[in-house]
Amino acid sequence: MLEQLLIFTRGGLILWTCKELGNALRGSPIDTLIRSCLLEERSGAASYNYDTPGASYTLKWTFHNELGLVFVAVYQRILHLLYVDDLLSMIKQEFSAIYDPKRTSYDDFNDIFQQLKKEAEARAEEMKKSKQVGKPVNNNLGRKQGQVQNGSVDGGSKKKSGGESGNDGGDVDKSRGRPLENGNLRNNHVGKGEAPTMINANGKENGASKTGAFDVNKLQKLRSKAAKKTETVVNKVPKEEPKKKITKKNRVWDDSPKESKLDFTDPVSENGEQNISVVAADEGESMMDKEEIISSDSESEEEETEKDSNVDSKKKGWFSSMFQSIAGKANLEKSDLEPALKALKDRLMTKNVAEEIAEKLCESVAASLEGKRLASFTRISSTVQAAMEEALVRILTPRRSIDILRDVHAAKEQGKPYVVVFVGVNGVGKSTNLAKVAYWLLQHNVNVMMAACDTFRSGAVEQLRTHARRLQIPIFEKGYEKDPAIVAKEAIQEASRNGSDVVLVDTAGRMQDNEPLMRALSKLIYVNSPDLVLFVGEALVGNDAVDQLSKFNQKLGDLSPSPDPRLIDGILLTKFDTIDDKVGAALSMVYISGAPVMFVGCGQSYTDLKKLNVKSIVKTLLK
Amino acid sequence: MDEEKMEKLKIQLQQLLNEAHEFVQKIPPTQINVAIAVVLSTIVLFLIIRLFKRKSSNTIVLTGLSGSGKTVLFYQLRDGSSHLGTVTSMEPNEGTFVLHSELTKNGKVKPVHVVDVPGHSRLRPKLDEFLSQAAGIVFVVDAVEFLPNVRAASEYLYDLLTKASVVKKKIPLLLLCNKVDKVTAHTKDFIRKQLEKEIDKLRASRTALSSADISNEYTLGVPGEAFAFHQCSNKITVAEASGLTSDISQLEQFIREYVKA
Repeated sequence: MLEQLLIFTRGGLILWTCKELGNALRGSPIDTLIRSCLLEERSGAASYNYDTPGASYTLKWTFHNELGLVFVAVYQRILHLLYVDDLLSMIKQEFSAIYDPKRTSYDDFNDIFQQLKKEAEARAEEMKKSKQVGKPVNNNLGRKQGQVQNGSVDGGSKKKSGGESGNDGGDVDKSRGRPLENGNLRNNHVGKGEAPTMINANGKENGASKTGAFDVNKLQKLRSKAAKKTETVVNKVPKEEPKKKITKKNRVWDDSPKESKLDFTDPVSENGEQNISVVAADEGESMMDKEEIISSDSESEEEETEKDSNVDSKKKGWFSSMFQSIAGKANLEKSDLEPALKALKDRLMTKNVAEEIAEKLCESVAASLEGKRLASFTRISSTVQAAMEEALVRILTPRRSIDILRDVHAAKEQGKPYVVVFVGVNGVGKSTNLAKVAYWLLQHNVNVMMAACDTFRSGAVEQLRTHARRLQIPIFEKGYEKDPAIVAKEAIQEASRNGSDVVLVDTAGRMQDNEPLMRALSKLIYVNSPDLVLFVGEALVGNDAVDQLSKFNQKLGDLSPSPDPRLIDGILLTKFDTIDDKVGAALSMVYISGAPVMFVGCGQSYTDLKKLNVKSIVKTLLK
Repeated sequence: MDEEKMEKLKIQLQQLLNEAHEFVQKIPPTQINVAIAVVLSTIVLFLIIRLFKRKSSNTIVLTGLSGSGKTVLFYQLRDGSSHLGTVTSMEPNEGTFVLHSELTKNGKVKPVHVVDVPGHSRLRPKLDEFLSQAAGIVFVVDAVEFLPNVRAASEYLYDLLTKASVVKKKIPLLLLCNKVDKVTAHTKDFIRKQLEKEIDKLRASRTALSSADISNEYTLGVPGEAFAFHQCSNKITVAEASGLTSDISQLEQFIREYVKA
């Protein structure tokens, strides 16, 4: 049974809502749908899931682009209504017949709606019966929905993914009772959620599998069985723990002989090093504060690419499209948009946008252009280009303010230091860009302190120490092989003692698939609750950007012990000078995580840090 | 090589000039006069039309954060009721109409062009299109959920007040505190003072620290003094309204003041 069906204009006025289904919706699903899905250019997705305490809904929608109307149907998630898509398209047809821009009340539509609803329900019943086997149909549709749900969970807003996985973890019993559709997927989620808690008991060493208290392989077998088995494993762990005292084993990467001493930090105290006179690094003003000069590029390049795509189409097709463009009568169909969209998608992919993202974007633009009337004297390709440009600007424009200085001042007034944590995979440039951010903040008269929480990589602490010496700022470090969460905590305490305004926390690089390391990271974030979690990603990354960011967000959400986990708040894009015009990684990252790009690293010296210029990136992407 | 080319070009240009001169001299004088008169009159017409357009900018722009009630106010102005309710706007609402409360007036009432710009931060760039023809700006603030959003609201207002188009044309701004029908709504004086305080802090963090920080086009207020709205070159007034209960008399007053002028 439908909970609610709404028709509203793109400008925001509700034109019609079904009065019989009078149940008030809990929370605000429609507003959330608009903000997290339609305005985020995810309107190509099939459905949207909304969770609120007390209810969980699924929303489906369709557009009428010519008249600027949106039709949304809301129903309970546990019901898998098949007739909703059908109903929506029928309603769209009927309503557009009676729509008038001047009218604002459409009470006569109630009867039409009742009729249509009965028709749609009857048709769905028939389909069920005619297929004879209801289950396979449901399975296929359900799995598709489940996959779309997964896709939307991964690609959706941060809170969404955290909320849904949290639900999954809690509903162990319910998941068995629910219809088969999502059974497999849900159980997998539950399994993954339970298993890591066992591994954690042994510390974060992967190498422990050989010598540890229990076998990780055994655990993986258990994971694939039903959730019941996890109880027995829980019983096993406390028994085995007292047997062996957990000693930390060094990570053995290959057959190299064991190093007896790994900590090569100079035993000579700081005083000895200060004898070397170091001039404080002053390399001029950071590029963050400089305005970018946008060069106006010529139109001729655009013309050339358009000519190429035109030559491909047949001569007849060209003539009719020219005629149509002059007359401007054609209603855009999906088949018309296909070639232009495909060309755009290929162009985006040559600019290093992840394939999945380019696909979703094109779908979203298609959804917003279908059924629209071409303005006269415009070609289809130029309409599509304009719509895509608008969509790109919309995605790259930050959703919230990225004024860090303002946040620093706010935190200063409250008397506590502003904590920034730099996270990312290996080798993206966290430590280098941390130093650049410190330099920029110093130029704005902010007291900065660094915290060396990368206690794994050899030389990480020395690297930060060198930067700190050059910038003449304090650094808090505890050497190697220490728990980063505790180092960070002590660093923040030290900062509030010595009056630093900002604490920049450097962490070790880690792969997004590495469960124990991600757990350690989420523990660091949970324990210290930083003000800004900055994901450092390199601009050279290709399709992996999608995987990195979505897994980071997912793990931070899943593995955090708190009910309201902190997710990635901002992105720092590095190595921007190495890509000439293949700037697509910025788009992929922003699209998949919803976090704005706060800084762009464009070189290896202190001044090479700038802000993201949305217009120039969009121009480069569509050139 | 270049000098030779330049010489050739010069010779060619001179030849063309001579030819044109001869051609012109061949035409009888009356035709030339008529042609010149036609050209001049079209130029004059264009100028007049442009002047006209500038003078009669009778657009009122409704802006503010998402969820402050702009779309409700728009429909109140137009139809006197907000119908079945509103959702987050994805596109601006534009309309040229006579204010609903003035429909019953006798005599000729001038229609008003009102634009409701979406408040969602991703749609901010749309505001710039309408600012160029604005005769007045209404910044709508949610008086109930004011304190959680005070920073976002003040940042938006600060950006608005430092835009070149607003400062140069001295567009008057009305700070409208909406949703005052609710019991927990703040008073307009409280809202005004809080916004002034926040903008003062923004001023400090954005301009005073680095002279290279030129992201905003103009600076606000008097340096050294706490910021107050009366220091702005354009007139800023504060009023209250309630979109749901049709209590929009102060808003209509503002519109009438600046549109008839």
